[in-house]
Amino acid sequence: MKLKAWKPWTFLMPALLIYLVVIVGPSLYTLQLSLYRWNGISPNKQFVGLQNYIYLLTEDTVFQKALKNNVLWLAGSLTIIIGLGLMFALLLNRKLKGRSLFRGVFYFPYVLSGIIVALMWSWLYHPTRGFFNALLEGIGLGELAHPWLADPKTALYAVFIAAVWQGVGLPMVLFLAGLQSIPKDCYEAAIIDGAKPVQSFRFITIPLLSETFVIVFATTMVNAMKVYDIIYGMTAGGPAQSTQVLSSWMYYQTFKFNNIGVGSAISWFLVFVTMVVIIPYVYYTNKKSHL
Amino acid sequence: MKRNRFTAMLAVMILIVMMLSACGGGGSPEKNAAGTGAGDGGGDKTTVSIWVLNDQAAYLEPIIKDFESKNPDIKVEPTFYGTDPLKESLKVAAASKTLPDMWFTWGGSLGAFYPENGLTMDLTAVAAEHKWEDIYNPAAIDLVKYDGKIAGVPFHLASLAVIYPKELYAKLNLNPPATFAEFEAQLQLMKDQDITPFAVGGKGGWMLMRWVEQLIEHYGGVELHDQLNALEASWEDPAVVQSFQKLKEWSDKGYFEKGFITLDPQEAETPLYHGLQGFAIEGAWVDLTISQAGVDPSSIGIFKFPTDHQPVRMSSFAEMFQINGSSEPAVQEAAVKLAEYVTGQEIVNEYIDQYGSPALQQFNTSEQSPHTAEMADMIKDGNFLISDQALPQTVVQKLFEAQDAVILNEWTPEQAAQELQKAVEAHKSNN
Repeated sequence: MKLKAWKPWTFLMPALLIYLVVIVGPSLYTLQLSLYRWNGISPNKQFVGLQNYIYLLTEDTVFQKALKNNVLWLAGSLTIIIGLGLMFALLLNRKLKGRSLFRGVFYFPYVLSGIIVALMWSWLYHPTRGFFNALLEGIGLGELAHPWLADPKTALYAVFIAAVWQGVGLPMVLFLAGLQSIPKDCYEAAIIDGAKPVQSFRFITIPLLSETFVIVFATTMVNAMKVYDIIYGMTAGGPAQSTQVLSSWMYYQTFKFNNIGVGSAISWFLVFVTMVVIIPYVYYTNKKSHL
Repeated sequence: MKRNRFTAMLAVMILIVMMLSACGGGGSPEKNAAGTGAGDGGGDKTTVSIWVLNDQAAYLEPIIKDFESKNPDIKVEPTFYGTDPLKESLKVAAASKTLPDMWFTWGGSLGAFYPENGLTMDLTAVAAEHKWEDIYNPAAIDLVKYDGKIAGVPFHLASLAVIYPKELYAKLNLNPPATFAEFEAQLQLMKDQDITPFAVGGKGGWMLMRWVEQLIEHYGGVELHDQLNALEASWEDPAVVQSFQKLKEWSDKGYFEKGFITLDPQEAETPLYHGLQGFAIEGAWVDLTISQAGVDPSSIGIFKFPTDHQPVRMSSFAEMFQINGSSEPAVQEAAVKLAEYVTGQEIVNEYIDQYGSPALQQFNTSEQSPHTAEMADMIKDGNFLISDQALPQTVVQKLFEAQDAVILNEWTPEQAAQELQKAVEAHKSNN
């Protein structure tokens, strides 16, 4: 290979080496650990093959709840958070009085830490002194007042609403950046051709935002799969483990129960669930770009 | 162009895989100083690295400075952590053989991990030589033992009693109950007066567990309770089922606040300090919290949960300093000296207002913490190790789940007992 061909690699090499050591190495080591029964210290590291994975799928009922919750959280994030983010971006991309203020207001919750958001929303949901139940009683719908976080049927959704409030700012900002990079000429030409606003959105905005969608999709998905702090802060995984997610259960298995193998297996389940969503998405987007 | 796009997407995909699979690490510790152990005694000074909690910094920092000025040949390098970061960091350090020379830990199944894996110094001979039996409370020494060997220097000995607002008791013309039946009658009396008897926040499970373990002591008695904690008796025992039945009954009667199961413990307890709710189970550290809520701690009374068994034992736990078994002998000697200094009577009396419940036999009473001495006196009749330290952590987690599931009608009390026994058997088969 000529010297010119090697040149980019020499620039990439330092970052690549760091990436291999800090990210790839530990990931592969985690994969290896998931095949062992080990407490993290003992010299007795027992190879168990896929037994940790089988245990999680067949015996660990909390893991099964956590997996289901992660799938629900992921589905909700990819539809509701991205949908609302796009909607706010479209609204705030228009000429509007106080537009900058609204952009700041909608983005602000994203800069708060998950624990702060959890505290605020726990107070709002307080069964006897909380805002939501007081509001329901105030407008004569007292019979709908409910211990939102204490009921396993509503707890996860109640936490998710808090997460939407916090998380919608990031996709909104990314979409806004994407929208501002679309040339106005396209819309003007469409208007001349008689296109209606819905058609402009469908045939101009969405296709030209496809690169932004990839980024938004990836960041939202990673955030959804890693969700932990807001749940820990609002319910600590309860009631009756009904709001456990894979990240929190991985933490319990690894640091509380000293089951390093099982904890590592959960982290690879996280990867697996993500792949189930992202491979069809990459395939679809790639196929579409070849049309 | 199309190939570039595909490559970019592939890169995003790989990034996600790597970020998620390598995200097993915990939160970052709040470090004030660096330093890991297995240190050497070389140089002019012997350096001792110590990992402790942020909450302890207010009194440990000046104590360590005093110690250094009195021992110019010893340098102490403290690192302060939050509660969970300390637990995580110790586990990671243990796995990577980078434990400090000395660290703070809780007792029971939390602290046992290190001596069980041969990482701590055996202090049995030191304890005998330094006559610890004349200095520390025997219950504290007992709680820092593993397999008959002393694995830590006792730091705190906490015991838990039922707390109540004296003003509310006076208003209702009540006295501390002598029997379980009297206690239940008081619960109903409060409920009839529209007062929620229990101030319990169920988030995390541990606050509700304090009541469940007392019910087990009541229904099972001293011997069975100890056997259950040692995993020597079946958790399907009728006494465990009865305990869950009573918990469910109390919940159905509205003795707990609506939706209490995910309330924050601290937040749920605050109304009690102001005389608005009846009972909580707490240690003497609650005095500081009560003061911070603007209430005089002496307005709160305490009594032992009436288990109807003799002796009436208190739930308790110890906190300790463990010393690295791999550190150099000179460093270990310096670490023992430091630990004995921090936990000694002179220092405890000087810092008693901030110190918490010392593990000593004798210490001064604090005006700011009137219940410290009272509880230390109560524990002399007997104690049992608190459930979340007595039981393996997998069983503890199942106990928390069982409490919630029974209250929410998801499990019957019998199912809860069965699930606990299953967790015990799984633990035994894995260890």
